[in-house]
Amino acid sequence: MNELVLMVALPLLTAFLLPVIDRLSSLAARWIGPLVLLLTAIIGLSAWSQTGSGAITIELGNFRPPLGIDLYVDQLALLFALAVTLGTLLLWPAEGEQRLRQSTLALLLAGSGSGLALSGDLFNIYVLYELIAVVSYGLAASRGTAAGQAATLRYLIVSAFGAALALAGIALVYQATGTLNLAQLAQLAPTQLNNGQGLAAFVLMLVGFGVKAELFPVNTWVPEVYATAPARVAGLLAGVVSKLALLIIVRLLILLFPQPEALTVMLVLGILGVLTGELAAWRARDFNRMLAFSSIGQLGIMFIAFSIPGKAGVFAGLAVALHHLVVKPALFLLAQRWGGSLEHLAGVAKGSPLAAALFILLALSLIGVPPLPGFWAKLLVMIHLLEQQSSLYALGAWIIMAGAALEANYLFRVASSFYRREAAATPPAAHRTGDLAGASLLGAALAAAVFLIVPLADRIEAMAGQAADRDHYIQTVNPEPLP
Amino acid sequence: MDTIIILYTGAFGLIFIGIAGIVLSRHLVRIIFAIGLLEAGANLLLLLATWRDGASAPIIVGGRVPALMADPVPQALVLTAIVIGVGILALALSLALRVQHAWGTLDMRAIRLRLEEEIDDAAGIEPPTSADAPAPRPTAPATREGGA
Repeated sequence: MNELVLMVALPLLTAFLLPVIDRLSSLAARWIGPLVLLLTAIIGLSAWSQTGSGAITIELGNFRPPLGIDLYVDQLALLFALAVTLGTLLLWPAEGEQRLRQSTLALLLAGSGSGLALSGDLFNIYVLYELIAVVSYGLAASRGTAAGQAATLRYLIVSAFGAALALAGIALVYQATGTLNLAQLAQLAPTQLNNGQGLAAFVLMLVGFGVKAELFPVNTWVPEVYATAPARVAGLLAGVVSKLALLIIVRLLILLFPQPEALTVMLVLGILGVLTGELAAWRARDFNRMLAFSSIGQLGIMFIAFSIPGKAGVFAGLAVALHHLVVKPALFLLAQRWGGSLEHLAGVAKGSPLAAALFILLALSLIGVPPLPGFWAKLLVMIHLLEQQSSLYALGAWIIMAGAALEANYLFRVASSFYRREAAATPPAAHRTGDLAGASLLGAALAAAVFLIVPLADRIEAMAGQAADRDHYIQTVNPEPLP
Repeated sequence: MDTIIILYTGAFGLIFIGIAGIVLSRHLVRIIFAIGLLEAGANLLLLLATWRDGASAPIIVGGRVPALMADPVPQALVLTAIVIGVGILALALSLALRVQHAWGTLDMRAIRLRLEEEIDDAAGIEPPTSADAPAPRPTAPATREGGA
């Protein structure tokens, strides 16, 4: 089972060797990145069936946790490791001047993202999170314009602020428990973190890791970066990286913080995220920023969903997260050519009917129109929210409904302008075949999911059950009790 | 007073100064320095997590076991965190330098407004207007009375 370590190690190793390989043969340098990602994806997929019955833990260097560092592989972690690998592959940098640098950064992202998903140790999570952050600065500024660099700088400031808060949160956890191994922390949490200090640590880590997850007060960077970075990078950040940060927050919430106040904090921030995100998206007048604000709203829905206690919350949140994971990168692939003012998109359906049809399919699913998967995901969230018999959760449900109405308004407004008779004066260029193929692939996956919704839901429910089970986590890692 | 209380006050003080600096400052270099202070505070907090007065390094020399040993884990972690922090600060300063070269300002508010403008420009949309907005600033008159 130890070959799963390669999912982290191989992309990182290749990333650092890439400049050397490029010296020897530029053809090899061009192909080795995608090939390595494909290989790691195959490694991950081959381990998929083995994690179905129970999670696996990999003790690095054969040191038993908690003294050694372990990777924890359950289906949820493996799914996100695969998502970051395949997402990077799908959004692989196209031909351009900085192909080598871009490929290196993309490989680093895949490696550190897989590591983040699989990590079973709080400090490793911090280090890999910082690594992803640095990689995303490089990717966000990769257009080389002054606006891109300014946006990246503003992103970096928020992100560094968040990382320092998360580190302070980790310090509080270590102070209370004396360990950083997640399994041992889960053992100690009910007695030692179930207090004010634990809550403070959670809020610090929520805000800290929430920067990448586009959490409400620390998401000012989102519209700026998504509007100035290449659309491909925006798709990667909105689709994959934000979910990785969310995964970490959910893991910590399940394992470390049993207090109900933690859920309330997350619920309130999620509600504010949906409200502000959807309202801002409704007002946005260009394609990229509309998508950016709508992704803040969608992440808000996920925060609301994950704040439902128990397995139900994990199930509902995962459904929304996986749906968004497919839809948002596809929309940003379309934005490669459609970026800019929404008015430029008038009458665009005549020139590129396939792209227009894809946009409508993705938009309908994002709003939550039956029978598309987005509808079932939102329905699940609503049902479990209303089951909670609490006015705050009910408020969350109403806010999601209101958000869906706003989404319908602004997405239909764009879609209807596609079919306007008189075309815009400066219509956008046609999509590159690669972008359109990628978006079609994701759209086809979404359409296929309509027919597979029942087995898919069963799979996700099993995955959520496995992830929400604290005792399973503790028993799988089985940390040695310290003397 | 107890040493530990002074140290904790220092750690939380640095964190608060850092947060206040990031939120309140307008000058970019001050914001970046504030990030440095915030990181220092977080690092100090991590070090203090298991700090004990008078503890010695956990090294056994010549079979003599020290009575009170310091926990080496936070120190290793802080070393890592310091390295990451320095890297991020260097990156931030280099980006600030680039922005200063391009736009000639280090004022955060000016950068935000300029960024907004550039994004609007690139997207090809007019600056926002509303009925309540103040009237546009009068442009310089085309012809001056009396002539020059």
